[in-house]
Amino acid sequence: MNNYIKIISLSFLVGLVSCSSNQEKENHKYHGVIEKIKDLEKDSITYAVNSTDLVENMQLISVETKEVSFFIPERKSKIKSFQCSECHTKSIPELKFKNLTAKKAHWNIELNHATSEVLTCNSCHPTQNLNHLKSNLNAEIDFNQSYKVCAQCHSSEYKDWLGGAHGKRLGGWINPRIAATCVDCHNPHSPKFESRFPSRLNTKKIEERR
Amino acid sequence: MSKKENKNVENSQNTWHQITSENTDRRSALKKITAGLVAGVGIASTSCSVFSEDHEKEASQMSWDEFFKKNYKIMSDEERVQTIQRLESLYEKKTGNTINISHQGPMEDVLYGYVFNISKCQGYMDCVNACIEENNQDRDSQMQYIRIHQIEKGHGFNFEKAEDNYYNEVPANNHFYIGTQCFHCENPPCVSVCPTEATWKEKDGIVVVDYDWCIGCRYCSASCPYDGRRFNWGQPHVPEEEVNKNQHYLGNRLRKKGVMEKCTFCIQRSRSGQNPACVDACPTGARKFGNLLDPKSEIRWILENKKVFRLKEDLGTEPKFWYYMD
Repeated sequence: MNNYIKIISLSFLVGLVSCSSNQEKENHKYHGVIEKIKDLEKDSITYAVNSTDLVENMQLISVETKEVSFFIPERKSKIKSFQCSECHTKSIPELKFKNLTAKKAHWNIELNHATSEVLTCNSCHPTQNLNHLKSNLNAEIDFNQSYKVCAQCHSSEYKDWLGGAHGKRLGGWINPRIAATCVDCHNPHSPKFESRFPSRLNTKKIEERR
Repeated sequence: MSKKENKNVENSQNTWHQITSENTDRRSALKKITAGLVAGVGIASTSCSVFSEDHEKEASQMSWDEFFKKNYKIMSDEERVQTIQRLESLYEKKTGNTINISHQGPMEDVLYGYVFNISKCQGYMDCVNACIEENNQDRDSQMQYIRIHQIEKGHGFNFEKAEDNYYNEVPANNHFYIGTQCFHCENPPCVSVCPTEATWKEKDGIVVVDYDWCIGCRYCSASCPYDGRRFNWGQPHVPEEEVNKNQHYLGNRLRKKGVMEKCTFCIQRSRSGQNPACVDACPTGARKFGNLLDPKSEIRWILENKKVFRLKEDLGTEPKFWYYMD
């Protein structure tokens, strides 16, 4: 009889302990969210949705490095009056030499990027074959891969962009990764963001705090 | 009689059976009857009256069913579909416009996380606007889930010296900006204190609210160390033409007076692969969102390669919202 009571009380105690909710059980399993992430992470996850479905009609260019591969939007079709060679039939020195009285082209572009000692038009644009950009060592760089030009100086931003810490995602968080390229946010001729007034002022908050 | 009406009658019979059934104990039966009497007298009088029109009866029957529905967490899939159809047709009857309420569940192998780059935020507040429009927040009280704090440099993260309702040209000299909202803690105090289990953490880590089970006690708001929750002190109002018709039951569907709400990582967007509205609206790319369980995701790269921190880490709330600097 005594044993019987013991068994009952013991099972009651066990019952009490195991009564805690699911939430508590889960919280006791891990010391913090990082541990949970490490435990539950999966090397390959297949999602039902695809980021390319979320960006309709966007032409994509692939970026491949040793560590990462992702997509950026195509650029050339967005440049007004590309190909450049449609006007630039001759190289810049030739044009300058022959047509001194011609109307100044690109008058609206003001270069507000570093100082003139470091950066001029010809730092990025070649004087011949203007359909391409150029590197510091005069290698041709395609307009669709303009990030390679930027990366020459902005190496830490480039590293962060490849990893995902710098820049902006397009087409949601889901795979495959589609990211804005440098010139989607920064005007290459004036890359700094303008200062302006905030887009909202909460007037109720002002009343409440008066 | 249409199939739908048949079902409604069946439902009401069920409800009556529940109330009168001998299996129901006295306490809960009394509770149901009183609640039913108080709320249902008006509804019942319309639905029983021989003079009222059929569509009026249908509407009042719907309101009755709506009032006695379960907590979303314990609803079966069928019941979820039913309540959503009810809400959609009630809205259509009221406004003549159609809305689409989703009940999409969490994706497999997904745990959402958010990172915020305090070097990049310039205090433009485009995120706040996008959030309000996306999530149908009350326009009258100018509710906003997101706060952007303008803090003078040299004082650290001193929120007592922060201004979250500034209107000066930004970025202001010698100031930095830091945004706060619901951090979707892994160990959310708001969930533990809720007396009606009207708020809980979903499998994908999003802390949600069932607006129809919230009794408005505001315990959750008091327990949140981050000021992440917002309360509807009055009847929330969104102009009809501004209502975001693409809704989720646990997200941006229209709320009522006396209930709590908060950021849901735009559950109606994130569960279909999109970024939350604030992330898409940010012109500086200071906001990043993604799946923490995907080792190749941007968010994981940031957590592993940048110097990250969270607010009030010592509380053990384990927010899934990190800050980092360039």
